Amino acid sequence: MHMANELLSIPVAAGTMAVAAASLGFICRKVRQIVTSDKLALMGILGAFVFAAQMVNFRLPAMPGTSGHMVGAVLLAIILGPHLGAIVISSVVIIQCLIFQDGGLLALGCNIINMALVPSYLGYSLYKAFTAPVSGPLRAYIGALLACVISFQVSAAFVPIEAALSGVLVVPFSTFLIIMLGVHLLIGLIEGLITVAVLGYLQQVRPDVIVGSLPGKVRLTKKAVLITLVVFTVVIGAGLSLLASDLPDGLEWSYAERPDQPDFEPAVSNEDSTIAAVDDFQSKYSPLPDYSIRVSGLGETTEEEIEASAGWTSFAGVVGSAVTMAFIWLTAWILRKKQPTKA
Amino acid sequence: MHHAYIDKFAYQDSPVHRLDSRVKFIVVLIFTAVVISLPRTSPSVLACYAVGPFTILVLGKIPLRFVFKHILMVSPFVLVLALSCPLYDRTPVSVAFGPFLWKSSLGWMRCFVILAKFIVTMLALIGLVSTTRFNDLLTGLQRLGLPRLLIIQLGFLYRYIFVLIDRAHHILRARAGRKLRNLGTKAELKIAAAMLGSLLICSLGTAERINIAMQARGFDKNWRSLSKLQIGRSDLIFSLIAASFLLVLHFLVRPLLQ
Repeated sequence: MHMANELLSIPVAAGTMAVAAASLGFICRKVRQIVTSDKLALMGILGAFVFAAQMVNFRLPAMPGTSGHMVGAVLLAIILGPHLGAIVISSVVIIQCLIFQDGGLLALGCNIINMALVPSYLGYSLYKAFTAPVSGPLRAYIGALLACVISFQVSAAFVPIEAALSGVLVVPFSTFLIIMLGVHLLIGLIEGLITVAVLGYLQQVRPDVIVGSLPGKVRLTKKAVLITLVVFTVVIGAGLSLLASDLPDGLEWSYAERPDQPDFEPAVSNEDSTIAAVDDFQSKYSPLPDYSIRVSGLGETTEEEIEASAGWTSFAGVVGSAVTMAFIWLTAWILRKKQPTKA
Repeated sequence: MHHAYIDKFAYQDSPVHRLDSRVKFIVVLIFTAVVISLPRTSPSVLACYAVGPFTILVLGKIPLRFVFKHILMVSPFVLVLALSCPLYDRTPVSVAFGPFLWKSSLGWMRCFVILAKFIVTMLALIGLVSTTRFNDLLTGLQRLGLPRLLIIQLGFLYRYIFVLIDRAHHILRARAGRKLRNLGTKAELKIAAAMLGSLLICSLGTAERINIAMQARGFDKNWRSLSKLQIGRSDLIFSLIAASFLLVLHFLVRPLLQ
């Protein structure tokens, strides 16, 4: 699920980074009032819990030799509420990128959107939609299961969409989408089962943890949930149709607003004017604004004479770089060898 | 508690370690963006770009074996992606590389470029993380405008990941000691859920105690760090070198190699 830098073009990376940063900033400002120091400690520990929970693996049914583990985004959203859950999971994604190098630095925006914002908000609203009218253990379990499966599907669908918008896909989009959805349906089901099982355990041992005595309650009406679902459908539909028509930057376009549909709700709502400014900025000043989707062919392919000369210059470039690196390494090695004798 | 394996080289001392974390972060970000936006037509120019992060790693005294082992560890996803290219793009091309000339397909070239870009950007990121203490990086990010709440959250997270991972290891060892065979899906799931649940409850208790300890020491929701960030002469020199490296590659080397 972690996207790598190579799956993105600069405009899409910058756009998603801007969206993620603006949403995180907005959430942080929004929850600043309700976060007290005990919640800060709780959030930090629960973030670390996600890492520890990934150590606890269990055998999967029907697939001998494989084991699954928990991701925990939906569980945290249920325990902490969507806002704090989104902050915690975002911090987990940032640490995974910086410390564990899982997912690229440029893809951080995409990863925050896919793995933190979508599961927290979508998962929480689905869970609440099931448990809000009448809460019972069965409803809670079905809600949690559905929340995991659906939010994983949506985040998994985002990955090929973002890659396709960047124009870097070699694999046909539909193949990539189907593979991602298929794999993540399985992962989502496992995640849902283990989330339900953990919720069941907590219900027995510490029921106060789930019921909502913890902070971050957000009122969500049925209408809001329905609208969210519609918006996500429209966003995905728009993404798919944009791909067919080969329009660039469709992701940002479908995030922002649609003049042809007045009742279209932004997927990530924030009234920050900075996003527009940043978008404008990056479209003007990105290193390669007209980054072509189709590569016309290798420089070495077309003509024989060019081919030969290009072959030699690239050979010189690679060899020269290798020699330079070897030289740097050797110099450092010699200097380091000398040092202990001096001391 | 073993805190060592991720950023064990961040606590060394070298000219690279002494640079301001903000400068390093921004340089790595720009470098990554430049490398990613390189066209996919010229794999050879990537070798030139690799010189930069390579120099940083060598100057920072980071063992190269550690670096490559780490890159190998995080590569599976990109590897699958890259290796799927030859399957879908079979446009034949002839590749001339110095004295060698052979036939290949566009897919293989792309696969090669994706892997090369991955390695170069990973070199840069590892160069940043293993020469910068995480606290300094956080202070730098805060100065760059990250919300305070997120900074505190990241600081907490980094501090307690290893504590909780240790605890998870204890629980895992207990399970391994008692469970000697496969118990079937339902029982396995139940055990795993109980382990996770008790880990969670344990964590909640820890959070309460940490909060009490923080209150006792007068915590006021502010992130304070001992690291004093100051952009000095060496930072300016480093930025100048990095900028000229990128500019020379962009304007002088790239036109040659494409």
